[in-house]
Amino acid sequence: MRLTQLTIRTFRNIAALDIELPAEGVVVIGENGEGKTNLLEAIYYLVLFRSLRGAKDRELVRFGDASFFIAGEGPRRVAVGYEIAGRRKKVTVDRVEMKKLADGVGRLTAVAFAPSDRTIVAGGPTGRRRYLDIVLALSEPGYLAALSAMRQALRQRNAALRNGHGDAARAFDAPFAAAAGTVARARRRWVAASAARFQDLCTTLGEAGTCSLLYAPDHHREDDTAGHIEAALRRTFARDTRRGMTTVGPHRDDLRLSLDGRDQRTYGSAGQQRTAAVALRLLEAESLAAAEGSPPVALYDDVFAELDRGRQERLLALIRETLPGQAVVVAPRESEVPRDLLGMPRWTMRGGTLDRP
Amino acid sequence: MAAIEDLIGELSKLPGIGRKTATRLTYFLLKQPPEAGRRLARALDAVATRVGPCSVCGNLGETDPCVICEDTRRDRSTVCVVEEASDIGAIERTGEYRGVYHVLGGHLSPLDGIGPDDLRLDGLRARLSNGSSVREVIVATNPSMEGEVTATYVRGIVEAQSVRVTRIALGLPVGGDLEYADNVTIARALAARREME
Ligand SMILES: [Zn+2]
Repeated sequence: MRLTQLTIRTFRNIAALDIELPAEGVVVIGENGEGKTNLLEAIYYLVLFRSLRGAKDRELVRFGDASFFIAGEGPRRVAVGYEIAGRRKKVTVDRVEMKKLADGVGRLTAVAFAPSDRTIVAGGPTGRRRYLDIVLALSEPGYLAALSAMRQALRQRNAALRNGHGDAARAFDAPFAAAAGTVARARRRWVAASAARFQDLCTTLGEAGTCSLLYAPDHHREDDTAGHIEAALRRTFARDTRRGMTTVGPHRDDLRLSLDGRDQRTYGSAGQQRTAAVALRLLEAESLAAAEGSPPVALYDDVFAELDRGRQERLLALIRETLPGQAVVVAPRESEVPRDLLGMPRWTMRGGTLDRP
Repeated sequence: MAAIEDLIGELSKLPGIGRKTATRLTYFLLKQPPEAGRRLARALDAVATRVGPCSVCGNLGETDPCVICEDTRRDRSTVCVVEEASDIGAIERTGEYRGVYHVLGGHLSPLDGIGPDDLRLDGLRARLSNGSSVREVIVATNPSMEGEVTATYVRGIVEAQSVRVTRIALGLPVGGDLEYADNVTIARALAARREME
């Protein structure tokens, strides 16, 4: 996929930006705080209509303004506007307004590499579930709808449990189990299909050990049919009632990453965790490329500097192979961008504005 | 100023009307001849004093029982269960239904504090209990997740009284293009396919 044009209005520290993006991509140099990460965040916002960094929408509006707007022209034109006053978000695809945000998700695809990706490996299961959900929402038809249905049923069921309405809680077992089954089966299939490639990628990136990827469901189920999940919900009902929340289901699952049989989260060194995180992003890019028929736009937020020279070289070789499309590379200094990438046009960013030669 | 503020305050409590719209509506009314405002006030007063729920079915009207429950030509062996009284109007406009209704007053939504006790389910049980002439209950709750959950809940109640229960079919809109229907609608229409006659 290729983004030809980008329009940004009052987003973070960017007042107004209208740019044509070169086909191969661009390197953007700027000190921290000048807005280069905001540029990547704006581009990625067109994919999920959510902040890459987990920020709330109103925090994305430029200080003192009332709304922001972003539009990107690719195979389709995707635009999104957000207004603080009505907390209203409007998404259009080829100038047609989407009734639901979900209908606009994934019309443009991108993968973002950032130093904070290490927390996918080193942090709690929430980040790993989020990773799986994003990959599948963008590559598997029907996944996002099932995920939204599962979350809605879960919120209803938990509210009923908290209010002590056992009957009403049980009434949501069926829709929860149906959606949860679809979600869990898709995640399991993806993990099973990706494990070997994950090992490959880690090895190519210089990891000597055995890197494995395993889907780890909650302790109460081995099977992801709706019937099985419903049965598990019935078994744990007394406990769920006591705790006021649903303790069985894909919202409690984890993606286990291990190195030579040891959990990467606890035992991995910072370098090993970084390698695993980069491998996960490459895997994400490959899944999106396979689903889309063309590689996603690659966004690199200062990721090369923290890799040693050897890993940097190997990563670049992998990028040429798996992400041959358009790239937007941001870094604080040219010296932190691999020489290979400096062939692309170079822009500088200062105070939310771009200087283009 | 107090009268203007009062009206703005009252209007902005209406669904979909924020303070800005309420203010605009208020100043619009102020520009009309005073009689226009009085007419609106009388209409609101009439609705508030004369309209109430039917003690049998929950439909809203000026008589109790409502005109539908009173109508002897209607088939009392068929009861159509809907979420809101406003849904009755939609079904009546088709002219295809000759049975009577039962209004639940919403759907199960624990997130909004609505549990089974907050719906008119006891009234439904009473209508189906011993000696009832009801032969079929058609569940016409909305095709949302909460509507479906409510439908399943109603089904349990109806079946406990050994009465036949049916659900309105969900599928593609007539006159629409398959190409433009959303995934969920198409998936449901496929699941509910039937033999061609
Ligand atoms: Zn009535």
